[in-house]
Amino acid sequence: MEELTRLEELTVTYGPSGYEDIDWGIRDYLETQLRPLCDAVWADTMGNLIGVKRCGRPDAKKLLLDAHMDEVGLIVTGIENGFLRFTALGGIDARVLPATAVGVRMHDPYGTARYSWMSGVIDTMPPHALKAEDMEKAVPIEDLVIDVGLTQSEAEAYVPLGTAAVFCTWPSRLRNDRLAGKTLDDRACVEVILRVLRELQGQNLGVDIYCMFSTQEELGTRGASVGVYGIDPDVALVLDVTHGKTPDAQGIELMELGGGPAIGVGPNMTRKVTETLIRLAEDENIPYQLEVMSGNSGTNAWPIQISRGGVATGVLSVPLRYMHTPNEVIDLADVAHTARLVTAFARNIGEVLT
Amino acid sequence: MIETLETLCALPGVSGCEDAVRSWLMERAVPFADKIETDPMGNLMVFRAGRRHEKTLMLCAHMDEVGVIVTGITADGYLKFDFVGGIDRRVVIGKNVYFGVVPGIIGIKAYHLSKGDGAKNVPSVSDLYIDIGAKSREEAAALVPLGAVGTFAAGSTRYGAPSREYFMSKAIDDRLGCAVLVKLLEQKPPCDTWFVFTVQEEVGTRGAATAVYRVRPDAALVVEGTTAADLPGVPAHKTICKVGGGAVLPFMDRGTLYDRNLRELLIALANRHGIPWQTKEMIAGGTDASVIQRSLGGIPVAGVAAPLRNIHSPAGVGCIADFEAVYRLTELFMEEYTLENGH
Repeated sequence: MEELTRLEELTVTYGPSGYEDIDWGIRDYLETQLRPLCDAVWADTMGNLIGVKRCGRPDAKKLLLDAHMDEVGLIVTGIENGFLRFTALGGIDARVLPATAVGVRMHDPYGTARYSWMSGVIDTMPPHALKAEDMEKAVPIEDLVIDVGLTQSEAEAYVPLGTAAVFCTWPSRLRNDRLAGKTLDDRACVEVILRVLRELQGQNLGVDIYCMFSTQEELGTRGASVGVYGIDPDVALVLDVTHGKTPDAQGIELMELGGGPAIGVGPNMTRKVTETLIRLAEDENIPYQLEVMSGNSGTNAWPIQISRGGVATGVLSVPLRYMHTPNEVIDLADVAHTARLVTAFARNIGEVLT
Repeated sequence: MIETLETLCALPGVSGCEDAVRSWLMERAVPFADKIETDPMGNLMVFRAGRRHEKTLMLCAHMDEVGVIVTGITADGYLKFDFVGGIDRRVVIGKNVYFGVVPGIIGIKAYHLSKGDGAKNVPSVSDLYIDIGAKSREEAAALVPLGAVGTFAAGSTRYGAPSREYFMSKAIDDRLGCAVLVKLLEQKPPCDTWFVFTVQEEVGTRGAATAVYRVRPDAALVVEGTTAADLPGVPAHKTICKVGGGAVLPFMDRGTLYDRNLRELLIALANRHGIPWQTKEMIAGGTDASVIQRSLGGIPVAGVAAPLRNIHSPAGVGCIADFEAVYRLTELFMEEYTLENGH
């Protein structure tokens, strides 16, 4: 098997909302990545992982780059005959769940007392067990169970209620440098930030650059609202994913995969930031698309923009197909182009600050 | 046997394209076989002479698995497809498929874009599509032409408790039967035995028809995987059988009323040797037995199967103890059948 790229590693590292900080999880992984790129790295009370690259001036302005590190998952609500009842942790379409392999965070029945991610599968009701009229319908999430191969008493001993489960998807490389895997929302943008920090190594831009890998975005941008208060930035770029066109979703408002980063336009995005992003993309020949959003962008930009006395905020999104399913698809060229545009923005931050 | 099963499950073998499975099995059979035959359908028939020769027994497992077949390609490079064999379309959404080394995704638009009643209905197969990343019909067709078949992702997982391990993979139905037969082939059988690996079971037991015509056995045992629905929320009379409950000895399914004498022999053996067994408590499914039973002048046929959850999906689940019970019972059956029919 070929070695995984860092982005592929990011997708297979677990971090469902509220479980970003567990051993060997996404926060541990990112802390290791951030240490050599930042002057200081810490986590706040909501679990946001924050790194800063200082310019040296005591009164320096602050640029924040945000991407959320949590992923949609499942949360165990009950045990029935050894099977686990669950509900969604974040927005999940129940139609993708039957016969999906998952990892469940539980005590290891193979002897160690430690918690680990044990394998399981969401079982599916065979057609004969359903009424004819139900064959056309999705099985509601409350009727599904996770099969962890345990008896009732074993499950009660090993699986604490409230524990999380995640999709288990091995990434696959599609044609045209497109990548399929779980959690590309928003690990694609985590990768963007890591590339930008690498690109800016050894350069003093006259501002302090903060990066925040925020928590609980999938539950309603909860981590970032606290994280941004602590950081108190002057300008923020929120990096997230947005819906790419697919055969079953062709709306004019949807983005093209491979068309470059989607620059958010609308009230949630400060005009000056938006205009700077557009101009830089034009100047540097970076392909881009405009994503017009009439209200809430549905990203961390919503709380960040109104934090404290207000933050000049922009949104850049990587187009992504099949959001919140076990196989999201992105175009790696979009990741590269987004990183270029963010780097250019950081280098030209003076324009926004004046 | 589990290592063999892992290898077999990972091989692609959608009905009509069982070549990889057949090649692998043939290579394993060569050192032990007295005779190896194939036929125009693609069945693999391996003969091994027994310690006695009064009767000829046929053991049967099918090599093929359910999958997808490309029926069209859109202008922007997505594949349209149909199922080969019986697949409930609810288990394929969001899953990986592979056309040889070319991966694809059966996508569905994001949750956010399908709120309301739309999310309660499952798209029909004609509305589903496979994304291989191609940008045009020409690009896709060069890699995955019309008629190409795809499988679910290979790779298996073991889980559960140490005392009762479970095995999850695509294609356990019926690579389990293949694994049982290929292991039994390693020892000299009690009577003359044909180990028959059939094709196209999943599209209507097509391969067994020609295999049995050539092999002409006195009796047959079909080694299979069978549907289990032992899940919370399923009424007891619809659970069929239980994973972890032992080998399944069916009396009847939609294709066959199994030979009563052979079945009673299997039950007696299981009881005598303390091998856990159960039966199918619902008349559902069908196997190669249906065509074997009514071939030539009629052939007594019995079945033994491992219960599987999520059969015909990317993540079938069986219990390793059940697999062992199926193996042991098949082995004992070969001995006992020979003893009972020796003159």
